Amino acid sequence: MADVSQVERRDLQSAATSHRGDRVFTRTVTGAAFTSLAVLAGIAIFLGIQSIPAFQTQGLSFLTTTGWDINTDPPTVGIFGMLYGSVLLAFIGLVIAVPAAVLLAVFMVFISPPRLSRVLTNLIDLMAAIPSVILGLWAFYILNPTAEQWQVLLNKYLGWIPIFENTSGNFLGTPFIAGFVLAIMMIPIITAVTREVLSRTPPDLINASEALGCSLWTMLRYVALPYGRGGIVGGIMLGLGRALGETIAVFFVLKIVFETNWDKIIESGGGSVATLIVSRFGEVSGPLELQLLLAAGFFLFIMTLIVNVVANLIVSRTGRLQK
Amino acid sequence: MSTVTFDPASLEQLQQQKSTRPWRKKPTKFTASVSLAVVIPALIVAALFVTSDIPVPILMVVIYLPLQLIASAVAALITRGTRGVADSMIIVNAIGASLFSVIVLASVIGSLIVRGLRALSPHFLFQNSVYISPSTPLDYGGIGHSLVGTLLIVFIASLISVPIGVATAVYITEVRGRAVPYVRFFVQAMSGVPSVVAGLFILTIVVATGAFNQSAFAGGLAYAILMLPTVARTAEEVLKLVPDDLRTGALALGSTRARTVLRVVLPAARTGIVTAIILGVARVIGETAPLLLAAGNNDQTVVNPFGSPISSVPTYIFNNVALPYPDAVARAWGSALVLIILVAILFTLARVLGRGRVSR
Repeated sequence: MADVSQVERRDLQSAATSHRGDRVFTRTVTGAAFTSLAVLAGIAIFLGIQSIPAFQTQGLSFLTTTGWDINTDPPTVGIFGMLYGSVLLAFIGLVIAVPAAVLLAVFMVFISPPRLSRVLTNLIDLMAAIPSVILGLWAFYILNPTAEQWQVLLNKYLGWIPIFENTSGNFLGTPFIAGFVLAIMMIPIITAVTREVLSRTPPDLINASEALGCSLWTMLRYVALPYGRGGIVGGIMLGLGRALGETIAVFFVLKIVFETNWDKIIESGGGSVATLIVSRFGEVSGPLELQLLLAAGFFLFIMTLIVNVVANLIVSRTGRLQK
Repeated sequence: MSTVTFDPASLEQLQQQKSTRPWRKKPTKFTASVSLAVVIPALIVAALFVTSDIPVPILMVVIYLPLQLIASAVAALITRGTRGVADSMIIVNAIGASLFSVIVLASVIGSLIVRGLRALSPHFLFQNSVYISPSTPLDYGGIGHSLVGTLLIVFIASLISVPIGVATAVYITEVRGRAVPYVRFFVQAMSGVPSVVAGLFILTIVVATGAFNQSAFAGGLAYAILMLPTVARTAEEVLKLVPDDLRTGALALGSTRARTVLRVVLPAARTGIVTAIILGVARVIGETAPLLLAAGNNDQTVVNPFGSPISSVPTYIFNNVALPYPDAVARAWGSALVLIILVAILFTLARVLGRGRVSR
């Protein structure tokens, strides 16, 4: 039925397009529809142009070295540590968020009674709605001192593993805490996508697996998770995009240092591109430093754009397969 | 055209019916082992909680979770054999993950209420901070100027992003040009733009070129970039719910395409589009980084959207968080509480309106 009426409507519409008002309408709407493209292109072009001076003064070392000394001539500036820091923080966040979010989604779809699932859905939506500045405030005053204890214990008992080394004795403002905050931001995103995908597993497949004697685990392992794999990966990448671009919450809890903090995740100090921009912007010394920050913003934009585009491609491809 | 009417709803209903298993009995062994598996780890941990001074989160993760896993595995082994062990692991871990999220959420909301209420008072909502220094006691000053700023910035952002967002949705659902997949793709990509990048972009094209100062207008532009994808996607969902009959009916009556959309489709989706706007506002209202860059900061109440830097609730929180004065920090918590209440109101509104997505 639906197909027939669509065909008819298209014919009617093409007949009606000859009307002048309609042509104006169509053009206006089409123009508006391309605003998003224009904005994306605008960001790339304007930030790209602004980042040319950064390369003229710094060359490729802008991307491969670490440091922020604006007073030397020419300034010695490099954002490698920050780029690496963004990835490191996002990775710590993912290590915490992915198991939690996937298990949470499994709980909501397959284990809990429907009423509890609805309550949880609302709570997770609420979690997604908490502005990052509030999460940062909470992390600064509540999480920071609590997580300090955890990290002291981690260091005491697992300090022989290189990543849990801490030589300074300062456990505040560590990448671990920042990653934990990012995990709290990613959990709602990953959970929402995963829940959506898992709940779309065809009931036939689930019933069939139960009839064949599958337990919950075997059903998840051989039916639900393979079926939703693409969507889950996409959700994780959406969360990753959010984590890479997150600024304020990380800025509150992380002690920003301009060095490459390779693997010491419970040692105070770290950085990310987004926090670099906010932390330096308040005390920008001149147009050149502003341009260097814009260049950093340009690379942040490119990084998140790639992650998001890949994520969306994966998610939409899963959607198509399911039909 | 088939003559047999096939109702997909009834099939779905059939599929959702839980298969009953009358052959499965629950013997006392089952009840006993399951309740033991629940009680024993809880008792051990409660004892440890009373006698030792291990921090509670550590206690839960390092001692309770493994204990509970072992207990459940043993119980599963007794009641269902080896096949039950993996299931019990999944269930315990899944409950653990849910509890983790709920506890984090409760901690955030709880601390906001406990610490934020101290600063809250009528003058906190209505006064500005002109003569207020970080050490001024809480009896004076407030976030009135920031609330005005946030409202102004959000209003400007809505003025810009709502028409464009709705038009984008109309293009996708009504015009259905050849570029629909691309437009969708760009809207998706745009929703991933980090807020700090949106702020930098507005800074370069509006502020750094000298066209405007840091102002509510510049802040509103930055917010509009973040708001547009949410509005467009929600509006698209809503327009899809408008029954096709309305469109064909309007066209059959000789209405032009433009008039069909403007007079029939959009009014039919009225509440849904309001929902889209509210969700867009809720998405941006707490964003801080773009306003730090594009709107600046001010202690005075500013109503001129173009002239001068302007305060907003998120930037107010940002400026007060790390000050070494307890009253300034209390103000930060107080304004955070106000902000989360605003967000909660917006989401509740969207939920309530969303129930009747399409009014007929």
